[in-house]
Formats: sequence, C-alpha cells, structure tokens
Amino acid sequence: MKLTYPHMGEAYIAAKAMFDDIGIESVIPAYTTKSTLQLGSKLSPESVCLPFKIMLGNYINSINEGADTIIITGSCGPCRFGYYGPIQQQILENEGYKDINFVILDPPKEGKRKFLEELGKITGKQVIKPIKALRRAYKICCEIDRLNETLYYVRPRALSKSKVKAIIHAFRNDIVKTHGSEEILAMIQDTIEKLKSVPIDTSYKPLKIGIIGEIYTIIEPFSNLEVEEKLGDMGIEVHRSMTVGDWARNTIIRPVTGRKPYAHEKKLSKPYLPALIGGHAQQCIAHAIKYANQDYDGLIQIYPMTCMPEIVSRSILPQIEKDYNIPILYLIVDEQTGEAGYVTRLEAFIDYLAGTSKRKEMVSH
Amino acid sequence: MQATKEVIFISIKIGVPRGLYYYKHFPFTEAFLTELGAEVVPSSETTKDILDKGVKYCIDDACLPVKVYHGHAHKLRNTSDYILVPRLTSVSQNEYICPKFGGLPEMVKFSVPDLPQLLDIEIDLSRSGKHLKKSLYKLGHQLNIKNPLKIKRAVDKALTAHQGFKQSLLNGNIPNRVFRGEPPQESNKKYTVGVIGHPYLIYDDFVNMKLLSKLNDWNIKYVTAEMIDPHIINERCMELSKRMFWSSAKSIIGSALYMMDNSQIDGLLIVTAFGCGIDSIAVEYVENALRRYYKKPFIVLTTDEHTGDAGYNTRLEAFKSLLDWRSENEANVPAHGRSVYSR
Repeated sequence: MKLTYPHMGEAYIAAKAMFDDIGIESVIPAYTTKSTLQLGSKLSPESVCLPFKIMLGNYINSINEGADTIIITGSCGPCRFGYYGPIQQQILENEGYKDINFVILDPPKEGKRKFLEELGKITGKQVIKPIKALRRAYKICCEIDRLNETLYYVRPRALSKSKVKAIIHAFRNDIVKTHGSEEILAMIQDTIEKLKSVPIDTSYKPLKIGIIGEIYTIIEPFSNLEVEEKLGDMGIEVHRSMTVGDWARNTIIRPVTGRKPYAHEKKLSKPYLPALIGGHAQQCIAHAIKYANQDYDGLIQIYPMTCMPEIVSRSILPQIEKDYNIPILYLIVDEQTGEAGYVTRLEAFIDYLAGTSKRKEMVSH
Repeated sequence: MQATKEVIFISIKIGVPRGLYYYKHFPFTEAFLTELGAEVVPSSETTKDILDKGVKYCIDDACLPVKVYHGHAHKLRNTSDYILVPRLTSVSQNEYICPKFGGLPEMVKFSVPDLPQLLDIEIDLSRSGKHLKKSLYKLGHQLNIKNPLKIKRAVDKALTAHQGFKQSLLNGNIPNRVFRGEPPQESNKKYTVGVIGHPYLIYDDFVNMKLLSKLNDWNIKYVTAEMIDPHIINERCMELSKRMFWSSAKSIIGSALYMMDNSQIDGLLIVTAFGCGIDSIAVEYVENALRRYYKKPFIVLTTDEHTGDAGYNTRLEAFKSLLDWRSENEANVPAHGRSVYSR
C-alpha cells in the first residue's frame, strides 16, 4: 500500500511524519503548480470550487508516482467539501485510474463502526502506535505555526528579503527528504533559529493585515497566489487567521477530549451570525472582529468562487467594516485568476491603508 | 375589548418574499400567520425590476435565486410591517439545505437598506422534528401572541394546509396553479418530459423564462420532483455511495434516476443556476450516471441574470427536435432503448 493525500499548505509535513512513524509508505504529491490545477480542472465539474480541482490534480500527480490509496477527511455538514470524496472517486474511475482505494474519514458521529473500519484500512491492527503518531503530528502542526509566526515577523522587517526566501526555499526542499517526526521537528527548530538570525530593522513599523476567509484558500499558498509572501515582500506584516494546527485542534483534539470546538469564535460572531451554517463562515466573521480589536490596519478575505458559506460571510463583512472601521479587500480566486490583476489590487489596497493609517496618526496626535 | 384586539391584529402586515422555498412552504406560512390574525402579503411575481434591484443590493457572486430573493425583500419594504425571512437550516432530519439558506436573514439584513423588522426564526430539523413547533411558538411570541392554544391551533391548521398542498402537487399540479386555484395540466400530451431542478428555478416563470408554459404549448407534459412520491426519491438515493446530506440534492438525484428508469418519460430537462454549489455536485452526479447507463435525451440549462431569451429558446427547440426524431424513428428503437442506427 502506498498512501497519498492532497496538499493543504503545510499539512503534508504533519501527514508525512505521522505515516512515517506508523510505518506506512506515503507519497507526498508534487508541490501544487499551474499544471496541477490544469490537470484537475480539466476533469472537474465546471462550477465546483477551486479546492476540488487542485486536490484532484494532486491525486493524479501522486498516482503517476505510484500511489494507490488516497486518504482524505470528510464531513457531513452543509458545505460541499463533504461530497468531494465520492465525486472525485467517480471521476478518477471514469478517467481510467482503476484500483485506487479511497479512504474517507467521516466524523465518528456518522457511524463509529464505519469510522473504525476506514481507519483500520490504514493502520491495520495497531492501536497505540497510531495514537502516539497522531500526537506527534499535532505537535508538528503547532511547531509549524510557530515557524510561520516567526516568518510573519521577520519577513517585512528583514534587511535582505532574499535571505528569508532562501531559508524557506531550502526548508521546503529538504523537508521531503527527511524521515520520521524526530528529524522533521529538528529541522523546523533549525529553520526557526535560522530565521531569527536574519538581520532585521527593529525600528520599522509595518502595516498589519489579517488574512481571513475560506480555510483551504488561505492555507494553501498556491491557491491564493502566495499572498503572504507577496505582502511580506512589500513590507507588510501579515497574519493568517486559520492554520493546520488550528484545524487539528478544533476538529480532532477538542471533540475527542470533550471540549467545544471554536467556542471563542462562536461567541464573537454571535451578533452577526448566530447560527452554524457550515464551512467556516462564523469563524471568518469572528476573526475579522478579533483582528479589528487588535488594531490591525486592514483585512483581506480570500475565498474560492461560488463558495457557499463564504458568500454569506462576505455579505456580512461590509457591516463589520462600518462597525469596526477597518477596511477589507475581497479576493475571489478560481482557475481563471490572473496574477497581474491580483497584484495591482493588493498594491492599491496597501496604498489606501498607508493613507488611512497616516490620517489616523494625525488625528490621534 | 374583543373588537379592539381584532383591529390590532389585522393591522399587522407580514410580507413574504416570493422566492426560494416560497414555492414549497407558502400554504403553510399563509395558514399559520392568517390563523394568528396577521395579514399575509406575498410579493408580486418576479419582474425585471425586482431582478435588477436584487442584483444591485446582493453581492455579486451569489446565485440567481438568492439575488431574486433580495429583490423581493426590497419590493416588500414599504408595504409590510414585518418581512418573513426564515433561517431554513434544515427541513428534514440529518439533512441540510444550503449554507446560503442558513445565512439568509443576515444576507438580506446587511445588504438591503431600509427594511422593516425581519421575522428570522430558525427552522432546524436536523436533530429532531420537534424543533419545528418550538420555532413556531417563538415566532408567535415575536408577533406578541402569548396564548399557546391559539398558536397550537395555527400550527395544526398550517400542517393541514401543507399536507393538502403536497397532495395536490403529487396529483400533478404545480405551485403557481395551486395558488391560483387552477386544476392540473391536461395529461394527454404527445410527450412527457421530466423537469429537474430546485423548485425556485422551475416554478418561477421569470427566472426560467416561462419554461413550463413553453412546454405546455409544445404539447409536452412535464413531471417535476414534487410530483413523485418522496419514498421513491429516498429509495433511489440509497444507491449513492455516501449518504447525501442535502435535501435538495436528494430530490434532484432521486427524481432524475427514477425518471430515467421510467419508460413513460421521454427525456430530461435539467435547470440549474450558475454558481449553485449543490448543483455543481448533484447535477454532475446525475449527468455522469445518465451518460454512463441511460440512453434518453437530456439537456442541462444554466441560468443567471444575463441569460438571453433567444439562446435559451434555441436550445429548448433543439431538445424538442431530439424528442421528435426519437418519436419518428421509434420503430427502430428496440425495447432496451437503443436505436439500431446507433453504435
């Protein structure tokens, strides 16, 4: 059995560490590029959302490298994501990729037995080893978040942006060659130290932008055209509202230990959206409020075209813009998104923010 | 005392936008609110003006039906004291409708200016069916009616009205004709065509550009998902490898598969809205199944606010010609449904 999984930002690092520790061979799909997307969107339904298309491209890349089992998480919520698995399976079969196993991990409340059966397909009869591996994978997620936080701080302030880029590039290059969680943790630690040693201008006060929106498109750098890197290079301190670690905490760790997921976010978003409507609409609104309270200069909402939950939060956000006096840029991505227009909009937004924050300072002094 | 109370109740006008699940639940709403003493004012049928207003106020990348709904809410803002915009999270156990339905009150509230108070009760039957009565009591309280017996009477009446409405749809009628008190379409037509799609697309004559009456003029009888026994639809959905969690997708997939197997139905017409998240999955599944296992003519028509009448008609006429060819060469089609001329 050769396992594979779709890309979602840095999730592959945690997934690789976990399967290495359990002792299962896994294939990391090639880093997502334009050709991956083309491969996926050729076979996908026309109006389905962007993550579907990228994920399908990832599978095909991995299958070509010899993978025969695909593992993804599922859900039975109102969002389309819950039905990705069956439709993708159907498409792959139609395209002649026979004998591909799909392991879809639906939440246990859909049927504990089915969940364990699916899990058993991967882990066999082992119990303790997978649990230990899962805990270490979670630790890796948290460490990656720490790495990203460091990166968000260092990148806009670094005197030489290319140094930062070289470190990150080397990290992405070397991480696929490691084996097991120990090596990966050490490498992440090493990269954080390297980033900290990059000379920075401590007196520089960058604009701060929070990135909110649909979880896949903000976490996966390809789908948002590397917005974090672009903004960082322009000297903006960014912060991304959702991370893989966050996701794991709220969908695996908290429910298993009997705590409520996203309790704080639900409380914050209550005045605007009091009910759960699927996807991360409530979280998106809560994060907007959170960033506004932390005195961020602006927000960028990113979501795939036709994303149902984010359309709801998109129509609520203008009210938050008014109530909290924080500008928001809305970026909708799909396979037609062109880079030049995207960059122009980012630059215009930054000019606007620079103007408003200067005005704010003049008023307060 | 009694007389003054009556006067107060009559003066409450509750607007009901003629969009989305209006075509499924209006008799229920009307019976319930009328019994509580309110006056129910549905908005007029969709017009160009309503659509334009909807497009103006709604965000750009919402689907057409949601935009139309915004237009209707805008239309009602001067003529009613309250507007009923329910939060329809779920209408049957363990199933949802669409995230946009769940966030509908917020979408309308924050997009359309100068609205009167919205009645935004949450209807969420995903955990248990008992929740319906609870929400209806809450709605009664919002309207300042404290007498539980009165609300209970209204609930009973509403449920009866809903049953009657559903029955008349099962007998082959369509919502607009039921509301006008007209009998069902004549059944002795040349062809029978299954029309698949969300109720707010196939019953709104403006949105689908009078699709049903066009079919009627062409001597074609139409069958919709609402005319099929729900048990059959549920049964056909058992074929899916994973439990379908959208009620609307279930009715699309179930009815399409049933119609394909039913030898009395000559072809399938699928209507979807551009950008509909549910259709992107459900219609894909149906199309795939139809191409693979069945040999009946079918067409997928996608609508949005820019759809032109001419192109639409051409495609419909092409579909009609397909039916004609089938019928003329019927002698060449053996019992298993494949023409001898086809490979």
